[in-house]
Amino acid sequence: MLNAFHSPQSVALLGATSEIGQAILKALPHDSLNTCYLVAREPQRAAKTLKEVLPDRTKLVEIDFQAEATQTHKAVVDQLFADGDLDVAIIAVGVLGNNPDVDESANALDVMTVNYLACANLMLLIAEKMKLQGHGQIEIISSFAQTRPRVDNFIYGSSKAGLDFMARGLNDKLEGTGVSISILRPGFVRTRMTKGMSEAPFAVNSDAVAKVAVNLLKGDERIGYSPAVLKYVAYVFTLMPTKIFKRISNR
Amino acid sequence: MSLQRMESTGWGRTVRSVSTEYAPQSIDELQEYVRDGKNPRGFIAHGLRRSYGDSSLNIGGITIDAAFLSRLEFHPNAPVVTVGAGVSIRTLEKASLERKLFPPVVPGTGLVSIGGAIAADIHGKSHHITGAFSSCVKRIQLLYSDGEIRDLYPEGPTADHFWATVGGLGLTGMILEADLQLIQMNTPSVLVEETRVNDLDEMLTLLSASDETFQHTVAWIDLSGDFRGRGVVGKGNYVSQELSAKQEEPTKSKNAPTLTFPKIGPFSLINKFSVRAFNEMWFRKPLTRGVSSIDSFMHPLDQIQNWNRIYGDRGFIQYQFVVPEGNEDFLAHVLVTMKDLGAASFLGVLKKFGKGSPAPLSFPKPGWTLALDIPAHLHNLESTLNSLDSQLCDRDGRIYLVKDARLKPEFLPTMYPRLEEWRGIRNNMDPRGMWQSDQSRRLKLC
Repeated sequence: MLNAFHSPQSVALLGATSEIGQAILKALPHDSLNTCYLVAREPQRAAKTLKEVLPDRTKLVEIDFQAEATQTHKAVVDQLFADGDLDVAIIAVGVLGNNPDVDESANALDVMTVNYLACANLMLLIAEKMKLQGHGQIEIISSFAQTRPRVDNFIYGSSKAGLDFMARGLNDKLEGTGVSISILRPGFVRTRMTKGMSEAPFAVNSDAVAKVAVNLLKGDERIGYSPAVLKYVAYVFTLMPTKIFKRISNR
Repeated sequence: MSLQRMESTGWGRTVRSVSTEYAPQSIDELQEYVRDGKNPRGFIAHGLRRSYGDSSLNIGGITIDAAFLSRLEFHPNAPVVTVGAGVSIRTLEKASLERKLFPPVVPGTGLVSIGGAIAADIHGKSHHITGAFSSCVKRIQLLYSDGEIRDLYPEGPTADHFWATVGGLGLTGMILEADLQLIQMNTPSVLVEETRVNDLDEMLTLLSASDETFQHTVAWIDLSGDFRGRGVVGKGNYVSQELSAKQEEPTKSKNAPTLTFPKIGPFSLINKFSVRAFNEMWFRKPLTRGVSSIDSFMHPLDQIQNWNRIYGDRGFIQYQFVVPEGNEDFLAHVLVTMKDLGAASFLGVLKKFGKGSPAPLSFPKPGWTLALDIPAHLHNLESTLNSLDSQLCDRDGRIYLVKDARLKPEFLPTMYPRLEEWRGIRNNMDPRGMWQSDQSRRLKLC
């Protein structure tokens, strides 16, 4: 249950090895945090890092998870609610699609499966459970890349756009149930995943993204950009004539 | 059947909770509804929602309005009343005074239901003499989760269920009605004596000394400025028959609240400057010495309706604890902590408790109790109060659960050492675990 300060007692981090996800978990209020579910391919790795930053009394529950094995998602989600209410779920599962060991089409399939199919499925399953308990917050990590297709990342952008679209629709559907979805749209984030890539303008660190993520959970706004200026850049990009947009985005 | 989806909050307005509100029309209908209860989030009964935190809330579940339990029947040959759980203390007082009777224990507000008064085992300014509210409860009629209605008594075979229900926060069943022992009252007046004190030591000394000669004692403590603990000690005795014959009607007589605080949206009117100005005025106000109406003496909080709105949409925490005597330094420590936090407040109340009740979860026990209203938005308030809780545990103190919306569950067994005993009785009374609240889930009470 959230207490008088809206501090959560139980939080699930899906995609627990994600740097952005871990940064959000670190930035959340820890005063009342009793249980933290770490859902990942290697949850032990996440637990090792997070143990250092979470209070000693917080119980870390490690849950093995394969994003592409969507038929196993329901059992995973059930575990998050087995010991009582779940207050906050952060869905930070995601890939960039730049695995050098496989070809382009395999990378594309991976992006579509993990970023859209798996995340959307998890979001729907968790929302259904939270509806029964009458409260809960889900946060998904969308992207600024979902604003408008760009030649260099339209596959990744489409997966985030799909997830973003569904999150907005689901949030509207959940109105009055006590459950809400927050959508985080970061720009270029400096993490292990983006190491070696050329930085886009307005690049931020994961801590800055986490700050926006935590504020989203506290307030009434449902969509947050990091950095905030991207909200206005997104407006401009949306309205920009195609010819000019292509020239800018293919710089 | 009246069922409605509704958002509710406690009196402190910090937690918002959406539940299905059930307003029963009759006891038969209620019995059937509870017996058939299938919602896994269960039910909690509520009265006037004066619990500050989440005791009367049940997110995703059912909340049962006790307002229809309005029976009020005085026994012809004894100062005893049978009163429905939905009746307010104010209504009971008014009806009792017409018969020259009065409840021996009343809280700072008359807008508490009888069901709530028992479920929280409330206390008043008379605690050093009368004990908590349960001291005047002679019978509780309780609806169990199996749909059965049973009468519980403080002694005999039902005593364990009776005492688990007293202070049991509505988690053993729904209180339907109770028999209360009243006291004789010659006149609706109290002989009041207020004294200004300049620091905490003076306040503690005067409160202790006053308990010898006064039936009612309480102190208002100034939580602004230098936080040295200055304030006003209020003492009162019921007016005796001889004196009442000589006295005229009390000068202050207010039967109903005269002001309603307006809705002010997200804004809080509480800040260091407004509180300091108010507290300075309150400290300097002319002291009452003489006969005062029982209503204005007992229920100073009721002069302004909805005063909780003053803290704006973020709400406020009422931090109330008790520490045994010998821990007076802790009271001073709390004042310094509040000063460091910048937590100016115009409601700080200090009182010395007498002996506790036999109920495992009853709050009062011998020692000092301090209640502070603090705006919830203050930076670092959560960790500061957690740290005070931890120190309270080391000093054998405890938090008042009906004021709480933030205590960490790990402190509970230390603060309430008979928790396991209570859980055992409760599980026996409600094996299906149907009586639940946001607080019971947050504190893992059941």
